Amino acid sequence: MMTRADRFMLAGAIGLLIWLYASLWGSHLAGESARLRVGNQPSVDVPLNENHRYTLSGPRGDSIIEVSQGRIRFIESPCQGKQCIHSGWLQRDGEFTACIPNRISITVRGRDPRFDTINF
Amino acid sequence: MKTPTVIQLHVSSEDQRIAALAALAIAIHVVEASLPSPVPGIKPGLANVITLVVLLLYGWRAAAWVALLRVVAGSLLLGTFLTPTFLLSLAGATASLAILGLALGLHRHLPGQGLGPVSFSLLAAMAHMAGQVLIARWLLIPHDGLFQLLPILMTAAVIFGTVTGLIVQAMLEHIRAAANDESGIRLRDSL
Repeated sequence: MMTRADRFMLAGAIGLLIWLYASLWGSHLAGESARLRVGNQPSVDVPLNENHRYTLSGPRGDSIIEVSQGRIRFIESPCQGKQCIHSGWLQRDGEFTACIPNRISITVRGRDPRFDTINF
Repeated sequence: MKTPTVIQLHVSSEDQRIAALAALAIAIHVVEASLPSPVPGIKPGLANVITLVVLLLYGWRAAAWVALLRVVAGSLLLGTFLTPTFLLSLAGATASLAILGLALGLHRHLPGQGLGPVSFSLLAAMAHMAGQVLIARWLLIPHDGLFQLLPILMTAAVIFGTVTGLIVQAMLEHIRAAANDESGIRLRDSL
């Protein structure tokens, strides 16, 4: 049988795990808003806590972006590869996707954004 | 005029015991290395069962010998000697031996039964993982992003540490039961 110290140790280890998950993967990484950019126009921030569909007009036509339950995604875009749509939901601070042909990008931003810029 | 020199190595029975136990640990280490792992850096580390049994039966010094011999000889057999894999393995073993030394000191001052095999195993597994991650952060992937893996790696360490501890506990019960009857004395002596 496990000794009493063993049970304390196991509880402590599980406590450490919970702390690790909370501090490294926790809710402070949740995105609060998304920065939408079309071409060289000034960017627009939209909140992620309001479900909404946005239609953005780029040089190729209209892209439709959906915000739902704190997440954001492309649902339609006039491009060939549809990589923007396939990148799926974005919800954490710093997550990013773009429809390059239509020159539209989405950057998720948290309360306290972790990154100033991201290069690819 | 040359004086013939004869170097004689005196092999004590303790040396032989350590060698036998280290051989056992190396065998487990090599077998385990052939198992596929879903995530780099995660494996059960069953060879540590031997290290822990040795620690609890023969003390820290013997356990340190067994663990370090296993790391060095195991890497020679697998062809990873002085590679990053070896460094990670050595860092893990060193960190877990350090924590086991501290835990053994604490164990002696605890009331009641003190720490059981599960505690030692958990501490060793977590220290092993922490040592590996720190070395990896320092030498292999010098970026704090590596720490994002800590939750998964530590979860694996806690699970495998607990399992290893339970195996050690079962083994010690067998060894003690065997040592109590006639035939067991031979078993104990052969260990």
